[in-house]
Amino acid sequence: MGALVAGRGSGDCAVRLRRAWDILRLRLRSLARPGRVERELEKELRFHLDRQVEENLGVGMPLADARRAALRKLGGVTQIQEECRDMRRTDMIENFARDLRYAIRSLGKNPGFTVVILLTLALSIGANSAIFSVIDGVLLRPLPYPDANRIVRVFFHSASYPHFPLNPFDFRDFRARSRSFESMAGFTRADLQLSGAGQPEHFTGFAVTAGFFRVLGLRPARGHEFGAGEELPGNQQQVLLSDRLWRNRFAADPHIVGRKITLDARPFTVAGVMPPGTEHPGNEYNGVAHGETVDIWWPFAFRGDPTQRGSHFLEVIGRLKKGVAPHAAQAEMNALIAQLAREHPNYLEGWQALVIPLYQEIVGPSQRLLLVLLGAVGLVLLIACANAANLLLARASARQREIAVRTALGAGRARLIRQMLTESLLIAFLGGGLGVVIALAGVRLLVSLLPPDFPRASAIHVNAAVFGFTFLVALATGILFGLAPALQAARTDVQDNLRAGGRGSGSHRGHLRLRSALVVGEIGLACLLLIGAGLMLRSFVNLLRADPGFRPEHLLTARVLLPDATYKADEAPRFWGRLTARLDSVAGIRAAGVGTDLPWTGYDDNVSGFTVEGKKPAANEEFHARYHVASPGYFRAMGIPLARGRFFTAGDTTKAPLAIIVNRSMAQRYWPNQDALGRRITFDDHPKEKDWMTIVGIVADVKDKPDSPTAQMALWWPVDQTPVSVNAMAIAVRGSSDPALLANDLRQAVHQLDPNLAVAAIRSMDDIADANISTPRFALFLVALFAGLALTLAAIGIYGVISYAVSQRRHEFGLRMALGAQPGDVRRLVLRQGVKLAVAGVALGLIAALALGRVLWSLLYEVRPADPVTFVSVSAVAIAVAILACYIPARRATNVDPANALRSE
Amino acid sequence: MSKPSDLIQGTLDLLILRTIALQPKHGWAIAKRIEQVSEDVLQVSQGALYPALHRLEQQAWIRAAWRKTETGREAKFYELTTAGRAQLQKELAQWERLSRAVGQVIAQ
Repeated sequence: MGALVAGRGSGDCAVRLRRAWDILRLRLRSLARPGRVERELEKELRFHLDRQVEENLGVGMPLADARRAALRKLGGVTQIQEECRDMRRTDMIENFARDLRYAIRSLGKNPGFTVVILLTLALSIGANSAIFSVIDGVLLRPLPYPDANRIVRVFFHSASYPHFPLNPFDFRDFRARSRSFESMAGFTRADLQLSGAGQPEHFTGFAVTAGFFRVLGLRPARGHEFGAGEELPGNQQQVLLSDRLWRNRFAADPHIVGRKITLDARPFTVAGVMPPGTEHPGNEYNGVAHGETVDIWWPFAFRGDPTQRGSHFLEVIGRLKKGVAPHAAQAEMNALIAQLAREHPNYLEGWQALVIPLYQEIVGPSQRLLLVLLGAVGLVLLIACANAANLLLARASARQREIAVRTALGAGRARLIRQMLTESLLIAFLGGGLGVVIALAGVRLLVSLLPPDFPRASAIHVNAAVFGFTFLVALATGILFGLAPALQAARTDVQDNLRAGGRGSGSHRGHLRLRSALVVGEIGLACLLLIGAGLMLRSFVNLLRADPGFRPEHLLTARVLLPDATYKADEAPRFWGRLTARLDSVAGIRAAGVGTDLPWTGYDDNVSGFTVEGKKPAANEEFHARYHVASPGYFRAMGIPLARGRFFTAGDTTKAPLAIIVNRSMAQRYWPNQDALGRRITFDDHPKEKDWMTIVGIVADVKDKPDSPTAQMALWWPVDQTPVSVNAMAIAVRGSSDPALLANDLRQAVHQLDPNLAVAAIRSMDDIADANISTPRFALFLVALFAGLALTLAAIGIYGVISYAVSQRRHEFGLRMALGAQPGDVRRLVLRQGVKLAVAGVALGLIAALALGRVLWSLLYEVRPADPVTFVSVSAVAIAVAILACYIPARRATNVDPANALRSE
Repeated sequence: MSKPSDLIQGTLDLLILRTIALQPKHGWAIAKRIEQVSEDVLQVSQGALYPALHRLEQQAWIRAAWRKTETGREAKFYELTTAGRAQLQKELAQWERLSRAVGQVIAQ
């Protein structure tokens, strides 16, 4: 034996390899030729038995006794065989195949059971997968830029303006002085108009500083990006085209770079074409959603006086140096703001920098919503699991005799659990498979329901990640809902069941307790979802009922862009005057006006640094407000009511004293408890009498968005008196019926004045309003759908349990009726049992809802998460549904024939 | 019903390995040999023996072959593999250590 200790080192390794090979061969053999292995074992055991018999004969036993004694000594042959099989370890696979066959057979035997359980699982797994694919596309997939986690957005920040754009010269100083950024760029919405051959066309465009695409990590597919030279005023003669524009409008001309095109009546040279998949990072002011939403880019010019920094409209994006965290960059920006404040007295006091990852800026607002939806759909899955467990338990109780017999025949506990789990996993995977089909359809439905400005909707697909998720969910589901019945089955008391034939034993009471607990949980979860849906419904109704501050019905809007080259100085105001006059004369148009902005479409116009006559700004804050331009008919067309004073008139010309209109918020903020009418402000540091602007009217507040908590302060200038450009304006025309009918009149009116102008973004105000409530509507629809599903599942659950309880108590009910109980008494008895479960579940749900209310807080509009109306009505609905579900088994309880019950007792 | 009450699991493995270390034996002979050598102190129940043999075979510590016995019948003979011999050494050493320790505690 000593020699065998020798093989250490390389010999050791060889031995180990050899052993691994032997093991593999043996396993394969047992798998491939199970019959032969079994026969050999039998032969081996027979040999053993024979030798034992021989031995027994040797000590003088008669043959029959020798046999019997030998058999006794050997013990259960079947058990030895079973154990040897266990030792061969192939039993896993063999047993699995057997369990699978068994499971399929037993599912086929109970088609009703199978259909119910599969459908509920498929629906809930499918819904989970669909929501997950949205989350995968929107939240989990990295943004489509290289090293996207280093891209950040830079804003100014104050208490009243969390995301404030920058003044271009602020940006230029930041870019020059900051050390945190690899590169930094500014961009602002600046659409362009192509005229010439064919219909004039309006393109979504952005004016961008040099290196904008470098920040994003993108390069033109052809040509080059703008350089620093293009930022100088007067050097804006180049454009970059989107791939889509290049293909659709320029027939994918391979020699496009260097080609001259006319935009806004000015000559431009094509500097390059961006590759397909160039996604706009999304922006807040005059917002264009993230995605391939932009047609054209052209150079941003730093115009004007670098010491005059009142106007803020530039959005900033930057790429952080490797290893620099956003908050570190933000600290540096704050230091730079302090520097700028020293260099420019009375400027930037009270402002801070905000540096946030681009991902958060794009996805942040949707994150909460999506996670709430995932939570909701996850709850539905939990309920479906409880339901499936309940159904399996119900069936397990019907199969208790069978299980008892199998246990008596020597099936081990682990073996039984494994078999039950095989069955539940089979159900779960079948459900998951169906769920994938439902998810495929569901995702399409979800995407079509998504709000139009939902970020990254184009990235939503059912892909490998979604399949993986579905697989894991199905696996977890199968184990979750299979475990309770499996453990329960393994605990079956053999003797009891064999004797009683599976009726009225102690294990049944435990059984019912478990099932009742499951149902209470189901009802609780369903209540939680119902409360969520109820709160969202109340919030949505509040949103619809809230006064928007304007009247969206019968209102058509459009945008028209007057090229700077052809409309200089006062020509633009004159054009707008002629256009509104022409529109006013059209039959069917009751009011027409133009303005820089439309409600609920986003603004980029903020002005600060004006002086309110007779006032000093509060410490750490200067006077500021949103600014807009409006024609005389604008407010009437928009349906924005006048609170005091007058609207603009044709008399507010360049020669007349300067007039402004303010909204109520501004009036109250700067002239609290006073009449703001007739008060004056100025933008000049050393105003002469003619520089003062007098408030001639006060109009109602319009919030930025329907669910904004408050309206921002705002002021309007008349078209003729405005210090800002009025070349890009929105037109609003109010009719008396369907506004779509006015579209042609509008287009004609514009083209009669100038056939080279594109009338873009023709939309009814109803559509704009609708798009603004589409997110809460989307959330409400889904949560309500899930809550409905949850309630249905819970109803099935309570029905199942009460039915089971009734079937267990048939004899008792029969006896009671034989002793004189009325059917009504028995019904009440059953219903009481159901109501008890329902009340317990509802209580659980209410407590959970109170605890989780904060999750919904930011998604609600003027509803408290602990809204008593919602809580009371949800409780009532849940209990009513529970009573309804219990009514059928309650009726059945009274159908027991007393005589029959007595006889079988 | 599966665990031999008179033999610690693992010890049976050791006994089997040791018993066939000198020459291949079939199951009956292994059981008999253990009983003889231990002077009938160690009784190997068949219900434990065959599963143990199968386990050892599946772990490739031993290998089996059908051969004729002295009486001319076919029986399944087990013998150690190379890996099995190493394993036996390891288990012997472990047993020595254990029994010495137990002995010391008892003899104190």
